[in-house]
Amino acid sequence: MTSRVLVVDDEPQILRTVGLDLRAHDYVVDLAETGEAALDLAARNHPDIVVVDLGLPGIGGLDVIERLRRSTRIPIVVLSVRDTEADKVAAIDAGADDYVTKPFGMDELLARIRAALGHGAVGDRDQPVIETASFTVDLVEKRVTRGGEEVPLTPTEWQLMEVLVRNRGRLVPQHQLMEAVPGIEHDDEVGSLREHVGRLRRKLEPEPSRPRYLATEPGLGYRFETVD
Amino acid sequence: MVARGKMRVYLGAAPGVGKTYAMLNEGWRGLHRGKDVVVGYVETHGRANTEEQIRDLDVIPRKTISYRGRDFEEMDVDAILARKPQAALIDEIAHTNVPGSRNEKRWQDVEELLDAGIDVVTTLNMQHLESVNDVVERITGVKQHETIPDAIVRSAEQVEVVDMTPEALRRRMAHGNIYPAERIDASLANYFRPGNLAALRELALLWVVDKVDDSLQDYMESHGIQGPWETRERVVVALTGAPGGDALIRRAARMAMRAHAELFGVHVRSTDGLAGPSKQLLDEHRALLNEVGGNYHEIVGDDVGKALIEFARAENATQIVLGASRRSRWAELTSGSVINRVIRASGPIDVHVISSEEPEPRAPFSRPRGRRTLPVRRQVAGAVLGIVLLPLLTLVMAPLRDSLELPGALLFYLLAVVVIAAIGGMWPALAASVVAFLLVNWFFIPPIHQFTIHEGKDLIALIVFLLTAGVVSGYVHFAARRSAEASRARAEAETLARLGAQLMTEEDPLPLLISTLRTTFGLQAMAVLQRSGDGWIVESSTGAPTPQSPEEADVSIAIDGEMQLVVVGPDLAAEDLALLQAFTGQLALALERRQLRAEAAVAAGLAEANDLRAALLAAVSHDLRTPLASIKAAATSLLQQDVEWTPQATHELLATIDEETDRLNTLVGNLLDMSRLQSGALQLVMRDVGLEEVVPAAIKGLGDRAQRVELSVDESLPRVHADAALLERAVANIVDNALNWSPPEHPVRVDACAIGDRVDLRVVDRGPGIPPDQRERMFEPFQRLGDQSSDSGTGLGLAVARGFVDAMGGGITVEDTPGGGLTVSVGLDVAA
Repeated sequence: MTSRVLVVDDEPQILRTVGLDLRAHDYVVDLAETGEAALDLAARNHPDIVVVDLGLPGIGGLDVIERLRRSTRIPIVVLSVRDTEADKVAAIDAGADDYVTKPFGMDELLARIRAALGHGAVGDRDQPVIETASFTVDLVEKRVTRGGEEVPLTPTEWQLMEVLVRNRGRLVPQHQLMEAVPGIEHDDEVGSLREHVGRLRRKLEPEPSRPRYLATEPGLGYRFETVD
Repeated sequence: MVARGKMRVYLGAAPGVGKTYAMLNEGWRGLHRGKDVVVGYVETHGRANTEEQIRDLDVIPRKTISYRGRDFEEMDVDAILARKPQAALIDEIAHTNVPGSRNEKRWQDVEELLDAGIDVVTTLNMQHLESVNDVVERITGVKQHETIPDAIVRSAEQVEVVDMTPEALRRRMAHGNIYPAERIDASLANYFRPGNLAALRELALLWVVDKVDDSLQDYMESHGIQGPWETRERVVVALTGAPGGDALIRRAARMAMRAHAELFGVHVRSTDGLAGPSKQLLDEHRALLNEVGGNYHEIVGDDVGKALIEFARAENATQIVLGASRRSRWAELTSGSVINRVIRASGPIDVHVISSEEPEPRAPFSRPRGRRTLPVRRQVAGAVLGIVLLPLLTLVMAPLRDSLELPGALLFYLLAVVVIAAIGGMWPALAASVVAFLLVNWFFIPPIHQFTIHEGKDLIALIVFLLTAGVVSGYVHFAARRSAEASRARAEAETLARLGAQLMTEEDPLPLLISTLRTTFGLQAMAVLQRSGDGWIVESSTGAPTPQSPEEADVSIAIDGEMQLVVVGPDLAAEDLALLQAFTGQLALALERRQLRAEAAVAAGLAEANDLRAALLAAVSHDLRTPLASIKAAATSLLQQDVEWTPQATHELLATIDEETDRLNTLVGNLLDMSRLQSGALQLVMRDVGLEEVVPAAIKGLGDRAQRVELSVDESLPRVHADAALLERAVANIVDNALNWSPPEHPVRVDACAIGDRVDLRVVDRGPGIPPDQRERMFEPFQRLGDQSSDSGTGLGLAVARGFVDAMGGGITVEDTPGGGLTVSVGLDVAA
């Protein structure tokens, strides 16, 4: 199945390169240099995913995201030189699903696009068992094993793990995690979330202080990394 | 013999104001009033609006004249003469006919038509008038070869200015209503600069006003009118070379400006050459007068007033400005007051007498100062009264001694003493009492004419008189003192109240506060000093000489540990000192306000600088990362193992890397140039270079984009004094910017022209243009501030270009491209 990607960027060179590469990876690609053109193409061609720059002439990138969100739930990945947390939070709050900062490697962008589309690198989202170099997550049995032995997880930890793994490769925003995991307390939401992720890291990560699988996107949320 | 035709001229300050349109319009209206009007010659310059105005007017075909193998079209004078219309419309009267024509100049053709009794309506551009030719050349830098004698135009029955504001004219120009855009070259664009247009317009209006004055003169002479005719205000200011004359000139200049009047300065030099003014001052005043736009005249005459009035009449002056007399009463009595003479003889001319010094700022009230008794003036008056009244009284009463007797005389003397006390206060009254005592003793008490008293009752009467006089004097004295104290208290309350109110409203109340205090207390100078190390800094001062430290002052009062209020002036009474001390509270408040305000300004400045810095960083980060992003994306694409790239795709990706590397390099170059400019590390190698060497090199550096540049810069231009390398960078950046904005179907035009001792290089784009109020900002580094646009040139390119051109002593100006777009001109000095 081929997916249609709409790429919006005011840099012709970026459009050309990204377009070339996506087509080489069997995507159908629409390119737009302005926000107006992007909204128009999105309405006409119904892309499966939108990759959008924030600094656009005319209608800015944030506006494009907000307007798209009024009518569609398709994944939106931001591609921008703006790298401050505030910029990223603003984009996610506007409705973007993920954020890639420029300069970027094409592999990274491709991985994010695949993840956002739900095409995980290690297979489909319905795949019951996800294996990493360090541990294995069995979504059917609801357990995590490490070196053949089950790692004991609290129900909250498991729920957290399950949401992240089912969305593997994708950024899961904090609010989404908190809605999905009832065990996380609401009075000190983020702090509590941090503690749970920290415990998961200590149980699963080979080097908990330098997480490889349970990545934090500062200010945004968490991501289960699938690219080893 | 036919009556000579009448001529009417439509005069315009510049091409495009609508002269031909007005001429045709008038002709057409004449035609429809039944007048036989033809078009003798009209030049529409392809302007559709103008062409439409011909409507059903009969156009006389032009005559073709061959000259050096080329055909030229000229007005056919014979055909018009043969057609014998009542009026002919003839464009551009200053036109020079092609050799071989009937007359050398078109105005000579017109003269013939007029002689034949044909009315002529014609048009003329200001710059062709002979008398203003040199001025026009100075304004526009363009020499006009076609000129027409002023007398011809002045002989016209009517000259009408077709007026248009420079702004409106430039708008018409910008819309392409005057010339097709492609015909506008650098010199034409230069001609249409707002400054030029304003100057030409003024010239046209002035010229016509002079003509109007001429006709007035004729009218006045023929009607025997002698007085001034107030067509235009003229202000005459009398200069004596006395101190204070500068203030007088400024006042007169302001009056002249308000009335849109001409200003004349007149100095009357006396024939005897005696008592001449200070030559130095007079020269200064003369220079000042020129500065404020006045004309200086020197006339000779013994009677200054008469000479002034004669001059004013001759110049049709409406106002005379004189300085208030500094001459002594004695001089006025002996030689009479000039002011009075001028006023008496001025007739319809307004006379203004201006005090020669700018008045001191008035104190909010005039305070009775340091007065413990009555003023000296009144005391003297009392004493004088005593000296006069007492002998007079004695003289009158002495012969009546027998009938008056002693009590009567004493009562009269008492009355005199009371009157003296009421006027002169205690001391004159006491003195008068003693004198009266002696006078009574001498003249009225037996034995007469001896200071001896025989009878006890006389002695008692005298002593009672003395006591009564003393008591009355004392009472009057204390009453005066009370009233002085009461008015002082009232004044103090008033001062405090007013100062309080002013402090609330003034932004920086300190200067006002101390100047009010100074005038209130009648002090010479006053200052607030701030301690600075071992010395003092003057925070605010008023009056002179400013005391620089507490040692130089007569009185100093501490405001707080660091501040002192210091005072120079007459000694302050104890009460005044106390009052002044009370005011230091207010001063401390004012100082605090001043300090807070300074701090707030600093904080605001810092915040602004911080915002700017953050925005600059964002812009730099964007501009550096954007090409990097393309490079990295292309490189990582090529590195991907899972794709088989076609040779064409590989080439495309590599080309992207190549282009973006160049772009990055340009940007880094500009960043380095900018820091070089900002740190002052720029090294100039100035030499004489030809633009035809530099400009093509600059454009070549733009790569493929250079194909969209239309270049017309050749070696016929004078060489300029510049640093060739920097000029190349500057031009490249400006052209690059123009290319970014110009739509692909329009080329960017680069041309140049010499104007006077400068060469203007113009880069003309047909992009969206920039509103005038934002043009200055486009030269600021990273004025784009953010990552809105992807054009590599806009962040730094223009800033660097301006920096370089400024460093070379040139200038960059920006204006509209007629028909839309932006034109950036680089002005450079012609090589010496």
